[in-house]
Amino acid sequence: MIQILTGIQNTAAALDAEHTRLDVISQNIANAHTTHDVDGKPYQRKVVVFETALQNAMNGDNSRGGLPAVQVAKIMSDNRPPMKVYDPGNPEADSHGMIAMPNVNIHEEMADMISASRTYEANLAVVKNARSMAMQTLAIGKH
Amino acid sequence: MSPLSSIAAYSPNLMNQIERLPAKTDEVAIPSTIPSTTPADNNSFSSMLGKMVSEVNAQQVNANQQVNALQSGANVPLHQAVISMEEASVSFQLMVEVRNRLLESYQEIMRMQM
Repeated sequence: MIQILTGIQNTAAALDAEHTRLDVISQNIANAHTTHDVDGKPYQRKVVVFETALQNAMNGDNSRGGLPAVQVAKIMSDNRPPMKVYDPGNPEADSHGMIAMPNVNIHEEMADMISASRTYEANLAVVKNARSMAMQTLAIGKH
Repeated sequence: MSPLSSIAAYSPNLMNQIERLPAKTDEVAIPSTIPSTTPADNNSFSSMLGKMVSEVNAQQVNANQQVNALQSGANVPLHQAVISMEEASVSFQLMVEVRNRLLESYQEIMRMQM
């Protein structure tokens, strides 16, 4: 396959990774009040862990020395304790009227979402730049 | 004797040389660079161009498949589809550019004064 746009494989991998991160953030926000997760406990905030992947080495192409790309290594749980909220009307409240809410902080998630979407945007800017470089190269010798 | 007649006398000679030209290059090219098992026109310009056209076509087909998969609800990320469309578009532009340069040089030759 000809490489017509420079470094596009790595950028696509980064877009993939940031996409997953945004998915996980939306999952956290959606479950901000879930007191009953699949294990019966309050929902635990999820965190995406990125890792380096040698994209070109995986494709068997070492001509460029294996440019490192990014990929999602794993999605882990945030182990901070659940927040205790006083809500005696809730049927799940204990004898003191306290209920364990997920350890999701909406403000934190919003800040993370801004960071993820800006990173996504930066990678899109790389795609745009690669395209304009290719088009300018095709215009060599034109007046 | 008109001045043009000398050119007329010259031209058969020229035509002979032109006719001999491909034969000569074949004689030189086959033993030195191309292995005897492969046909001589494997490296020709037209086969290179044909390869390029088929590669561009493959990229267009790939982009088409990605967009179809995306629209039919398969697990294809949006950016992957758009990037493959972009790649297909740029390689098509490259092909058009090669064709333009080729035509330009052909026309340049056709305009040449004899």
